[in-house]
Amino acid sequence: MERVYAMPFTVLECPHLKLKKPSWFHAPSAMTVYFFVLASYFLVTGGVIYDVIVEPPSVGSTTDENGHQKPVAFMPYRVNGQYIMEGLASSFLFTIGGLGFVVLDKSNSNVMPKLNRFLLLLVGFLCILTSFFMCRVFMRMKLPGYLQG
Amino acid sequence: MNMASAGQQGQYDATAGDENSTEDPTVIFPGGRAKNSDAMYAITRIRGQQMSDARQQAGKPKPPIHIGAVKGLLAVVILFLACLAAFSSRLFAVIRFESIIHEFDPWFNYRSTHYLVTHGFYNFLNWFDERAWSPLGRIVGGTVYPGLMVTSGAIYNILHSLNIPIHIRDVCVFLAPLFSGLTALAAYGLTTELWDASAGLLAACFIAIVPGYISRSVAGSYDNEGIAIFALLFTYYLWIKAVKTGSIAWASATALLYFYMVSAWGGYVFIINLIPLHVCVLLLMGRFSNRVYVAFCTFYILGTLMSMQIPFVGFQPVRTSEHMAAAGTFVLLQAFAFLRYIQDFLTKQEFRSLFFFGVLGTAGITFMGVVFLTYAGYVAPWSGRFYSLYDTGYAKIHIPIIASVSEHQPTTWVSFFFDLHILVCTFPAGLWFVIKDINDERVFIALYALSAVYFAGVMVRLMLTLTPVVCILAAIAISKTLNEYLVDELPKKSLTGEEEEEEEEEDADRKNRKYYDKAGKVRRIKTDKGKDDEGMGGNLKGFVVVAIIMTLMLFSVHCTWVTSNAYSSPSIVLASHNQDGSRVILDDFREAYYWLRKNTDDHARVMSWWDYGYQIAGMGNKTTLVDNNTWNNSHIALVGKAMSSNETAAYKIMRDLSVDYVLVIFGGVIGYSGDDINKFLWMVRIAEGEHPRDIKESNYFTPNGEFRVDKAGSPTLHNCLMYKMCYYRFGELQLDFRSPAGFDRTRGVEIGKKDISFEHLEEAYTTEHWLVRVYKVKPLSNRVPSQNLLKRKAGVKKYVSKKTSKKRRGSIKNKPAVKRGKRTRGGGKVNKRI
Repeated sequence: MERVYAMPFTVLECPHLKLKKPSWFHAPSAMTVYFFVLASYFLVTGGVIYDVIVEPPSVGSTTDENGHQKPVAFMPYRVNGQYIMEGLASSFLFTIGGLGFVVLDKSNSNVMPKLNRFLLLLVGFLCILTSFFMCRVFMRMKLPGYLQG
Repeated sequence: MNMASAGQQGQYDATAGDENSTEDPTVIFPGGRAKNSDAMYAITRIRGQQMSDARQQAGKPKPPIHIGAVKGLLAVVILFLACLAAFSSRLFAVIRFESIIHEFDPWFNYRSTHYLVTHGFYNFLNWFDERAWSPLGRIVGGTVYPGLMVTSGAIYNILHSLNIPIHIRDVCVFLAPLFSGLTALAAYGLTTELWDASAGLLAACFIAIVPGYISRSVAGSYDNEGIAIFALLFTYYLWIKAVKTGSIAWASATALLYFYMVSAWGGYVFIINLIPLHVCVLLLMGRFSNRVYVAFCTFYILGTLMSMQIPFVGFQPVRTSEHMAAAGTFVLLQAFAFLRYIQDFLTKQEFRSLFFFGVLGTAGITFMGVVFLTYAGYVAPWSGRFYSLYDTGYAKIHIPIIASVSEHQPTTWVSFFFDLHILVCTFPAGLWFVIKDINDERVFIALYALSAVYFAGVMVRLMLTLTPVVCILAAIAISKTLNEYLVDELPKKSLTGEEEEEEEEEDADRKNRKYYDKAGKVRRIKTDKGKDDEGMGGNLKGFVVVAIIMTLMLFSVHCTWVTSNAYSSPSIVLASHNQDGSRVILDDFREAYYWLRKNTDDHARVMSWWDYGYQIAGMGNKTTLVDNNTWNNSHIALVGKAMSSNETAAYKIMRDLSVDYVLVIFGGVIGYSGDDINKFLWMVRIAEGEHPRDIKESNYFTPNGEFRVDKAGSPTLHNCLMYKMCYYRFGELQLDFRSPAGFDRTRGVEIGKKDISFEHLEEAYTTEHWLVRVYKVKPLSNRVPSQNLLKRKAGVKKYVSKKTSKKRRGSIKNKPAVKRGKRTRGGGKVNKRI
């Protein structure tokens, strides 16, 4: 058996190569990965793919009864349509909400002064609540009949 | 109305109860931590402090309550409630309307299930449906994923063998809610494997009511996705099990469930790409082990062989690019394992170079091999449907028939929030927890999350594959947060050193390590100090808990609202509300299909746009030209061309296809927006793709580039068959006194052409609210007798005499040659006369 494995090396000579991994190349840390993940999550939930394919305007506009042009941030009544800015705004809220939970977890870490713990807890808490209630407000603007009837 | 609201109320109760009950396991969890110790220790944790104190003072030996049993009972009760909530929240449509199959595709599934039940399995596999795609027909057995039909056929047969006489339609209607209960169980299993049981319970409750999944599985939406999500999650659960244990049994079970998934839904390609991706990433992370090797090789070999047994899949697993990633990974894994085996026999120096080149070489050769085979035509390249997932603009330009379907549109932010609500916020947090403490199986869920998020962004429809992973990760995040904020306080006051140890054992390895560090001990002292002025911190923690529970309750309210208002319409029966709140049912579709069924010849062919093909076949039992199985683009384009040409040209096409009836959907009277005029531009586009010389999309627009049906609209539009059929006699109809006659409510304009008359068609039937209009194609008309007989001679004149100018004497064409000197009767006279 040993000979079978040695057979290639009777013909071949092992090259004396020094193959080193480049020093700058190493497995990315968990946090780097998470940062990229979060960034892409932000983009995707904001409907960037929709923006690329459909190419909507960044903000819409309507004409009011006096004939003035008025900007409209949200494309109302349409679940399958959006303007670029509204998508980004709401995906920002989604991401903030997610980070709120992460901060809440951070505030439970082992060594931390009391004040820091308190502040972190407050920040996380506010992030979650803000994002949640702002999302509901956005939803009301988008679908005026939301949660009614 | 009463019934509906009662159902809704019940729903609120059910889901609310659910959310509350999920908190219970987290409350009792400290009790669970004492699992390893005596039962005596354990009880003190479940009940409040007082009760246990009182009992201990009494000094009575307590009856030993096994803590595992209590936890098990709670888990069973919660899971049962979750299944119940999943089932009952999907019944809105049945309660409000009736037990009816919804939408489009389910009608085909229902029809073929019916065929399967009445004619048997083998006849179903050999079924050639001559009523679809006339005149081509469709080999149904070879072009469907039969899992759905076989499942409901099996349920039907079992029930009948138990003497429960249930109609096959009811089995079909209630199949999806039933399977969503099973999905909740599968989600529980998967999350338990990934994290812990309390997160699993939360995940089961989430997936039971999350709208993103309900949208595809309400009662009556009898479609592949309804059972496929269960199969998907259960396959993943078994795969995780297989990776964890490295046992062939679990891997074979994975392959078996994969086979079920393949038989149920085309989305199985997601599994066969995700699992190899998981294996590759594990290799890259240096987490390769024999467990992974055994699991993947068993799964791949068995899974591929079994998936090839489905007639529709056939040789695709070895012939198409979608499956090549799995094959490549398989080869790579063999090379990797072989090199690891050789490692034992070689010196380190030899091995290192061999290993490096071996792995790199195998990867390169495999890749080149696949590329070469693709190039040589042995392996089919990516099909358009999958390609459009990577190159997102592809479908818009090249495959209008895919881009035309509304569920293939890219997703906006509203869909994310609408379908997932609070979970969309907690999802990144769950991902964070998972990435923070990564292990073999959590790599899998992270990869699943990433790919699913991307695919959901590309297509609204793929929101469905994202939903389970979001539920799982959100459950992990919320469960972890609640564990920290809900549980910590109570036990710490009375924890002895021994119990602390147990607590740490229950936690993840990471924490365990820290406990033995000095830092861990320092922490413990600090928090104990902080206990004295606990008040503020405790209050804040209480706030956090209350806020999370409130958002969860709002989540269930949202889910119920969305389910009831957005996802529970059968779309065959429409409902509208009068001003006084009473409900009006518009049953035009079934009216028209029933008319077709009863009043036309059995072999009549009905032409309509492809959306309605399955319904005409299912409800009207008539032959259709095109249907929702859009396999033949040119046939659809031909129908699109007929719809968008003028009547004469359309008549020619219809004669060629021997069409007897034409059916159009017209929503202008009741303001139904999904009608054929709104879909018309897609017909034009699809027709233009195949017949660019005859149909031009720009002809149907005004010079300003607008699509208008009023007077300003383009004349091509006003003369095309679709416009004429929709608006025939509509100009005479005045809907109310405020609007002029011929006012189209959907488009909000008065139509441009009111004097429409037909030459080759006649109106056959129009439903009560004009929603469906059926036209009969007249046979060829009799020849009109010619008025001017001389006209015929003009044709004769075309004869050019071959005679030279010398002998320009007249002769009769084809006249038998007359020999001189011989007398024939009358012949000479004729000659002379000329």
